[in-house]
Amino acid sequence: MENHPETKTAAAPETPAAEEKKTPRFPERLVISPAPHIRTGETTRSLMLDVVIALLPAYLWGVYVFGLRALMLGAASIAACVLFEALSELVMRRRVTISDGSAVVTGLLLAMNLPSSVPIWLPVVGAFFAIVVVKQLFGGIGKNIVNPAMAARVFLFSWPKEMGTFAEYGLRLSGIGQEDITAGATPLVSLKAGVFPDVTLADMILGKTGGCIGEVASLLLIAGGAYLLIRRVITWQIPVAFIGTVALVTLLFPRTSGNNLNFMLSEIFSGGLMLGAIFMATDYATAPVTPRGRLIYGVGCGLITVFIRYFGGYVEGVSFGILIMNLLVWYIDRYTMPVRFGGKQVEAKK
Amino acid sequence: MAYTFRGGLRLEEHKNTRGKRIETLPPPKTVSIPLQQHIGAPCKPVVAVGDTVAVGQLIGDVGAGLFCPVHSSVSGKVIAIEDKFAPMGNRVTNVVIENDMQDTLDPSVVPFEKPLADATSEEIISVIRRAGISGMGGATFPTYAKIESAIGKVDRIIINCAECEPFICANHRLMLENPAAVVNGVKVLLKAVGVREAYLAVEDNKLDAANKLEELVAGSKMIFVRILKTKYPQGDERQLIYSLTGRELPSGKLPADVGCVIFNVETCASIFYAFSEGMPLVRRIVTVDGDCVRNPKNILAPLGASYADLIEFCGGLKKTPKRVVSGGPMMGRAVWDPDTAVMKGTSAILVLSDAYENDTGLPPSCIRCGRCVQNCPMHLMPNYIAQFSRAKEYDLAEKFGAMSCVECGTCSYNCPGHMETAHDIRIAKNEIKKAAKARK
Repeated sequence: MENHPETKTAAAPETPAAEEKKTPRFPERLVISPAPHIRTGETTRSLMLDVVIALLPAYLWGVYVFGLRALMLGAASIAACVLFEALSELVMRRRVTISDGSAVVTGLLLAMNLPSSVPIWLPVVGAFFAIVVVKQLFGGIGKNIVNPAMAARVFLFSWPKEMGTFAEYGLRLSGIGQEDITAGATPLVSLKAGVFPDVTLADMILGKTGGCIGEVASLLLIAGGAYLLIRRVITWQIPVAFIGTVALVTLLFPRTSGNNLNFMLSEIFSGGLMLGAIFMATDYATAPVTPRGRLIYGVGCGLITVFIRYFGGYVEGVSFGILIMNLLVWYIDRYTMPVRFGGKQVEAKK
Repeated sequence: MAYTFRGGLRLEEHKNTRGKRIETLPPPKTVSIPLQQHIGAPCKPVVAVGDTVAVGQLIGDVGAGLFCPVHSSVSGKVIAIEDKFAPMGNRVTNVVIENDMQDTLDPSVVPFEKPLADATSEEIISVIRRAGISGMGGATFPTYAKIESAIGKVDRIIINCAECEPFICANHRLMLENPAAVVNGVKVLLKAVGVREAYLAVEDNKLDAANKLEELVAGSKMIFVRILKTKYPQGDERQLIYSLTGRELPSGKLPADVGCVIFNVETCASIFYAFSEGMPLVRRIVTVDGDCVRNPKNILAPLGASYADLIEFCGGLKKTPKRVVSGGPMMGRAVWDPDTAVMKGTSAILVLSDAYENDTGLPPSCIRCGRCVQNCPMHLMPNYIAQFSRAKEYDLAEKFGAMSCVECGTCSYNCPGHMETAHDIRIAKNEIKKAAKARK
């Protein structure tokens, strides 16, 4: 049939008129737009996708360690964040921007910052706080002052029992349904009490310990950070300054007697430091934009983290460290303004 | 040591015509020559409708102030003198000439009579002024005025062969195909400015061109080739001076204030033609490219030829265009009329679809990623300046250095949130200038 002579002759010759039609012409109106007329292929969406890719190994480790529940919490958190983003934008008559992927990142980060034993409704409440209160009420993407996932986590401390109970390493919970769990002490809680955790340092680095879903796999989090650095999604200043500060202060002023180096390493590989320093303190909207500012911000986060871990009522130094430094970002940017080409420091006084 | 600067970006080059020889445009039936193609006072027509004109004949002149005379690029009859919109949005008088295809030369087109060694600086400047030569890189500052302002103040001449904008290969082809014209033009400039050092600054993505120039200047104690790291906006005069000399030129100052004067490479060739043939600036090399052009080319075109003529010579369109850009994609201007005339500053004509926009369908939003801050070649904080501009806080924009912006477009190009950062800053600059004028 394909080589049927009639079909062939029918398709072959084209009338001049048809040919004419196929030649593209200048449109009636050309677009006038400001230069530049080309753009890089990098978009908000591609950046958010990179962050999700970088987070996935550590999250999947969490699912492996803590069971199907961890997966359900992640799904609920992401779905709720996307839904609240769409709903709040509809109510506020803004364009719906869920396809930029930022709500997915917030949802994933929020779930990774929760213990595996929390009920399914808890991340939904957190998602509402993160997306509606912290993000959309402040104007949407890029305009929020504090990190949505971090602020939501701190908001969820309103449920201290749920937020303070950590399943032991390897205690896999079923998808839904409440189970009685044997709560284990996380390394961070042990350190707070002034004793070395009963897991080895190697286990802490590999993630063979109790804790929040996404925070235990330090090595995978570092790998994710390396991916983001290579892809130039983040710059090195914040994570290095943050972790470096915590390392230095804990090395100089240990809380336990004995091996200082061991204590320092226990501090930096426990709790949410890796997750916070690599993925949450580097959140674009709530971090400084200047290289020097990012260093100062990282050092500030580190100092507050250690201060709260040492003297605070909570063990969650990283969360508060980041949230407090979030509030100072404008001032950090303003006073670390780069020296202009050919000019002296700009005096940004107002 | 690589000659470079801090900030900026390595762009996708899109230099599709780098291997395409310069082709001469078939003589157009008519040309429409704008009488203002330069910075300074617009010219007045010195011919009338019905006059017969020859190639190289003066058709527009002012005679005082900062100006640049305009000459006919074809021989034929003046059929109209009319106002048209120029790409900048202002109205400019155009002389429309019907080409008689005879290429009759004007009697004034005669080679310079003296050996260069005997010519005085004044004589050289006078020839350059009469030849209507202005900068051909895009800013179109009258060349004679630039030389005059540099005399006694500068210690070196820099020839801008960087051609850092994507797509454009016009300068690259010129250096490959006629390096002697460039080098001879530089010799004229050395004599005119009265300095003993000239540097031809070429980006390292054009090493073949650099080698051609190097062959010609080998052993010279006055003319040197310098290889620059390929990075946008290396061809901006501030980055160029810094890369070569380490001198930082502050905003509001001229290159002469830091001892340098910069000429575009094609300007040098035009100066040479003005001496060797006596031919004023009536033609230039234009890169015609973009994803909508069937067969992109580098074209030697008479001034006043229509963009549509050049695009037709490239085989016409293969896709329906969205934009026609005069100049490079980073700093060029979108024009609304495909019949816009080629002018002294038209280095490229780009016919673009929306393929290079990477549109996500999302509203533009700053996510504060800081890329604009890291990449700003002027070391500004473009995100904040643009934000103040949108909020109409122009005083704050000024405090954050808006007036230092060179409008290179690096910030907008590299914005994942697709903000028009550079344009917001441009608006702030205009408002700041307006306010300063109002205060006076």
